[in-house]
Amino acid sequence: MAIMKSEDIMGEPHFDKPRHIKYWTRCLKTLLPHQYTSNESNRMYLAYFIVSALDLLGALDSVLNEDERQGYIDWIYRCQHPNGGFRMWPGTDFGAKANPKNARWDPANIPATYFALATLLILKDDFKRINRRLTLIWLSQMQRSDGSFGETLVSGRVEGGQDPRFGYCATGIRYILRAATEGDLSIDGQVVKDVDLDAFVRCVRVAEAYDGGIADAPFHEPHAGYTFCSLGALAFVDRLNTRGLPTEQPPTAPCHPQSVLSWLVCRQTELADPDAGIDSEFVAAQDTRDTRKKEDGVTSEAQADGTVPAHQDPECSAGVTIFDLLVDGAGMNGRINKVADTCYGFWAGASLHIMQQPNLYHHEAVRRYLLGKTQHPVLGGYGKFPGDLPDLLHSYLGLAALSLAGHDQVKEIDGGMCLSKEARSRLPAIWESFADSR
Amino acid sequence: MGKYADDPAWSDLTPLPTDEGGSHPLAQIAYSADYEETMSYLRALMAANEFSPRALDLTEDLIDMNPAHYTVWLYRAQCLFALNSDLHEELEWLNETALAHQKNYQIWHHRNLVVDKLGECGGETEFVARMFEKDAKNYHVWSYRQWLVKRFDLWEAGELEFTERMLGEDVRNNSAWNHRWFVVNGRAGAAGVGDPEVRAREVGFAEEAIGKVAQNQSPWNYLRGIMRRCGKPLAELKGIAEQYASLDRPDAVRSSFALDLLADILAEEEDGKEQAGRALDLLASRYDPIRKNYWAYRKDQLGLGELKQAVADVA
Ligand SMILES: [Zn+2]
Repeated sequence: MAIMKSEDIMGEPHFDKPRHIKYWTRCLKTLLPHQYTSNESNRMYLAYFIVSALDLLGALDSVLNEDERQGYIDWIYRCQHPNGGFRMWPGTDFGAKANPKNARWDPANIPATYFALATLLILKDDFKRINRRLTLIWLSQMQRSDGSFGETLVSGRVEGGQDPRFGYCATGIRYILRAATEGDLSIDGQVVKDVDLDAFVRCVRVAEAYDGGIADAPFHEPHAGYTFCSLGALAFVDRLNTRGLPTEQPPTAPCHPQSVLSWLVCRQTELADPDAGIDSEFVAAQDTRDTRKKEDGVTSEAQADGTVPAHQDPECSAGVTIFDLLVDGAGMNGRINKVADTCYGFWAGASLHIMQQPNLYHHEAVRRYLLGKTQHPVLGGYGKFPGDLPDLLHSYLGLAALSLAGHDQVKEIDGGMCLSKEARSRLPAIWESFADSR
Repeated sequence: MGKYADDPAWSDLTPLPTDEGGSHPLAQIAYSADYEETMSYLRALMAANEFSPRALDLTEDLIDMNPAHYTVWLYRAQCLFALNSDLHEELEWLNETALAHQKNYQIWHHRNLVVDKLGECGGETEFVARMFEKDAKNYHVWSYRQWLVKRFDLWEAGELEFTERMLGEDVRNNSAWNHRWFVVNGRAGAAGVGDPEVRAREVGFAEEAIGKVAQNQSPWNYLRGIMRRCGKPLAELKGIAEQYASLDRPDAVRSSFALDLLADILAEEEDGKEQAGRALDLLASRYDPIRKNYWAYRKDQLGLGELKQAVADVA
């Protein structure tokens, strides 16, 4: 082991970039371990994590030669559905056995389509092989009368439950294939209807909860993942309200942006151990804190009147000193009174970026949590909780969160699209190439 | 060779392997030969649109290995209904599957479908209770419970007492707080906390919970939610806020959430902005330093700005 430099002790924990590149290169070029079998039907999003991670690490061009780049692009097009949209993987395509009767078991899939398009963008595809007209027609059929979007269209029925993840991916598909501008399009001489944006906005509004967060449906508990999807979708369709009252012509959301901000900043938490109850976590932290205080020469705050202040009350989880924050960091959780989890550093952090308040949370504490606690020291990547083995989702969102929190070893990321700003900047030229008439 | 290939009951079916197309598949998995075979037979069944008992068995096998497969669930439902299968048996199988795959949402969607078709929910609340023993904050289970209450009109069937029990076990369980909000306010046409009697009861319930653990954001949010829903000023909460955070005793603040609430209340008072600023300073410097940028932002919103300073500090 190398001799520790003084900045290793005082400064931020080290970001082991070569190890992360190694982790992702292995994911790209060799088979994923069998534990991913339960996720085979999510392969398109695993593909997106792998390709986008290498892009964020600035390693994509050096890892891929031209044949490989084209080969991966071809696999994504292999998953394009003949009637528009993409599949998650080739496993539902019956090939020569496909017929109108079994077509219902092989539908295009909304998240698969968003992740396929995003991955093509990162791989610098020219989008010439996209069946854009059919995909946009299919997209308009994927919206329900309440404004929400589903996952698949099976025998004319929108399947997949009420879930803002589908709304996020659907509006993302619309954004990539036709930008934010509203109205019907004419593609190859055929009128392609736009989706009902007003209805979609109303459907986000009713899922705003009493405490400021956003849920998947009215009265469900708000959740940072669903909050991200809802805000990201509103941004994709240019209907996001970041301050004050929402407008009605056209409708925007959220209705209470200040409550959303407050709820989001409260996602940052020093609670990091999933096995510890909140109380025991605090008691344990308190002991060390008291010692540190003495070492720091901070005077004890014994109360003359006997009441225990929040930061010394064994029943409390708040009141972490600046010193603790600087050593341990603080990640983010997905719901009130839960422990931090790597991925919420992205879901909650990106939500604040989308709301145009990127500095309201403690960036350095997030970086310290990710680098010091959930980064895997041997394998690279990130686990969900401290000490966990890395997985694709947390490894990718850990990198994304690190970028949002200002780490200069990761490419700048676009919080709303969850890919590099560089990749997103290629979109205007692609829109130009579509050359529609209105 | 394999458990289907060697079984005479399957000999009439030709398995249909997946064609990855080309030599550069992305995110390919080193799955077992067992999985590969099961998937090939599933594909052959689906391609033939076969709805049979053996198809039901095979979907069970595949779902166990890959519960995220989005059309296998629809296919299984089609088989169940086509064969007029015993839906109670289906629920028993689903119980085991849900316990084995707690984070999967398709299982719950399927359960909705089956219970909706059955038209009765006997045993469901017991099963939900079992799930909560494993994880009292499981999102899918809480969503399912809300659906049960709406579908079978269980609003008065002990649901409020259920939230009390859950919060008695863990007063910080925000999912249980949220469920209580739903039970009180979610019924179509119900006045909820708009009814003064209900409001008094719910405010009392939250205040009692704060009395147990003051540094718990859930009941504080619940109180704020009540005021907003009724169009009442936050000032109505000044008494409880000051009980746990008083600017006269800045060393004895017992809840950062009380201090936050107090800042909001003071900001609405005439000449209260200066004091609100003091509350926000206390949060930033002592009681909630992790959010110091946010507290600076709040001061800035009050026209007491130090925002640029704070933002510069963090970067
Ligand atoms: Zn996570």
